[in-house]
Amino acid sequence: MIASALRVLIVDDQLTSRLLIREGLHDLGISNIEWASNGEEGMKVMLAKPAHLIISDLNMPKLDGLGFLRAVRSTEATKKTGFILLTGKGDDKEVIARAAKLGANNVIAKPFTIPMLKAKIEAVVGKLK
Amino acid sequence: MIAVAARKYEPCSPAVGSERRVHIIQSEYHVTSDPVVVLTTVLGSCVAACLRDPELKIGGMNHFLLPGQDLEDGSLARNAESFGVHLMEMLVNGLLRQGARRERLVAKLFGGAKMIEGSADIGTRNADFAERFLHHEGISLVGGSLRGTQARRIQYWPCSGRARQSFLRSDQILQQSAAPACEPLSNGSIEFF
Repeated sequence: MIASALRVLIVDDQLTSRLLIREGLHDLGISNIEWASNGEEGMKVMLAKPAHLIISDLNMPKLDGLGFLRAVRSTEATKKTGFILLTGKGDDKEVIARAAKLGANNVIAKPFTIPMLKAKIEAVVGKLK
Repeated sequence: MIAVAARKYEPCSPAVGSERRVHIIQSEYHVTSDPVVVLTTVLGSCVAACLRDPELKIGGMNHFLLPGQDLEDGSLARNAESFGVHLMEMLVNGLLRQGARRERLVAKLFGGAKMIEGSADIGTRNADFAERFLHHEGISLVGGSLRGTQARRIQYWPCSGRARQSFLRSDQILQQSAAPACEPLSNGSIEFF
């Protein structure tokens, strides 16, 4: 996958996290980025400007990461979008099982490094060029 | 209509001798609404964020140190900041899970000292990160004491929001008392309200 052609949606309620992920994506050559602060907003963005890949936090107000994943997978226009869920360490086992059942493509445990982010993205969309 | 359970408010002045101390070490956090709990930590270049919802009288403390020292490499700096964001997020989410409201949160920040003259200023980097995080997340900074060159012992009462700082070298307390709105106590501590 050509990095510059990849369109990514970041969904996280913390601006600091969104900025950190966006800067990490820039490091990987990905600049076509949108963001939203919860699943509800994320769904609106997806319907207006569909992304190839969603990177979404788990804990968010209004609609959390799993609710957002469920909405993405049950909507015709978005159901094939790559979806990576960001989780805190403590949530891992149960959340990973639920995320897999709902159709997540991958999970990233926080805190993460840029090489970890790259590996997870490439596992979903293929090697970045 | 949403039913909201009435919360029983406890006074923030536990009886003398009834306090329970919870010590927070690096990479830990703790959230509580228990009025008898006092959170404690010892800081050098690390930073402790004390966050609180004053209306619910719920609060917590974390203790973090951003790993790595390469400030010039943006990618490495972001890797390091991910650890700080994670610890701050754990604390914020821990408060929200107990009913706190993000828009009501207030913070006190402590630590971030430059402990070794001539070495990389890890403390300032931690302090800068903590202040930037609060700014980005819209959380008011209402007190605390950052940077300087001395280690600190911190006590924080989440129920009342009161904090007490003691510099670990008592002979230098006065020259380090650049903290806002506080006065040295007779035992060498500084109170933050």
